[in-house]
Amino acid sequence: MIHRIVPSEAIGRILTSLMLLAGTGVAADDHGEANAAASSPTLQVTHILGFEGISSNANGDLSIQGDALRFKKSDGSGAQITIGSIQDVFLGEEDKQVGGVPLALGRVATPFEGGRVIALFSHKKYDTVTLQYLDANGGFHGAIFQLNKGQGRVVKNELVAQGARVTPLEDQARKQATPEAKSDSK
Amino acid sequence: MIANKRTYSAVLVVLALTLLAASRPLLFAEPSAARWRVQLDQVDSGDVNIEPAFKVAIYENLVDELTKTKQFKEVLRSGDRSANGRPDLLILKTIVEAYTPGSETRRAVTTVSGATKLRVRSRLCTSQGQVVMEFVVDGNVRFFGGNLRATHNLARNVAHDIQKTKLPDPTPLVSQK
Repeated sequence: MIHRIVPSEAIGRILTSLMLLAGTGVAADDHGEANAAASSPTLQVTHILGFEGISSNANGDLSIQGDALRFKKSDGSGAQITIGSIQDVFLGEEDKQVGGVPLALGRVATPFEGGRVIALFSHKKYDTVTLQYLDANGGFHGAIFQLNKGQGRVVKNELVAQGARVTPLEDQARKQATPEAKSDSK
Repeated sequence: MIANKRTYSAVLVVLALTLLAASRPLLFAEPSAARWRVQLDQVDSGDVNIEPAFKVAIYENLVDELTKTKQFKEVLRSGDRSANGRPDLLILKTIVEAYTPGSETRRAVTTVSGATKLRVRSRLCTSQGQVVMEFVVDGNVRFFGGNLRATHNLARNVAHDIQKTKLPDPTPLVSQK
């Protein structure tokens, strides 16, 4: 009987300790999330073009630090602009083939038109963020970043929260509200 | 005999140098375009429903391609304050005339459909508004590459057309004012 009680007490103590630890863990996680919310997220992005001093199609981290939007390449070099210089932010979506040149060559080399079937399944959707900003001399610049799906909205919201200018959605819609036929007119 | 040879070769060298100096302005003359600065206006989408990313990509690719050609003394961006009051300034206006959105996946699967097509009207004007040249340029992606490659092809074609055209000298146009 004693032998039965002692282990059950031990188990109870262990369970209590585990519960306490779990509680602490949850609290720690909450604290971590709060910290993450306070500081801006760093996102892995591809710079398509336009950001001054950065080569096209460079991979790196995009982050907001204070009043600056910073792009840092994996080799440590980078560039930044002030958020106040941003004139507009646009979100877009793009469907791209994955695998780059090696997979493209593989598709071409696949017999019996098998490359077409591969192409049908080897694509991925990305978000694009297009920024329009002015340099110190007043010159107009545009930059395009490619992000994983869903991250574009995060960047835009963060930029707006930090004071970046954005054309209201209805104005953008008015600008683009033209019949499809017109865009195809030649 | 040796002294004669030396004198002869010295005279030849002097002659060659004189000829080179005389022909230098002809050999190293700047093409007329190199006497101009060019400022790029923002891309005007006109009546065409084009994505902002494409407008920005056309603009940025034009800046790159025109800089690469070394046809102009300087390539300035829209709004650049250093362009103010320059008499030798040309302004490149780009108006989108047609845009057909494509799909990279459709191109890869079907080969014959999914092309991204762009057509713009480019107008090179003086700062007084006098049109120096005007042309319509296409930029397409039909087979390989992302949709934005159309903007790169378009900008390269615009730069190529400007390079082919003989631009007038800045002085008469400025003095006409």
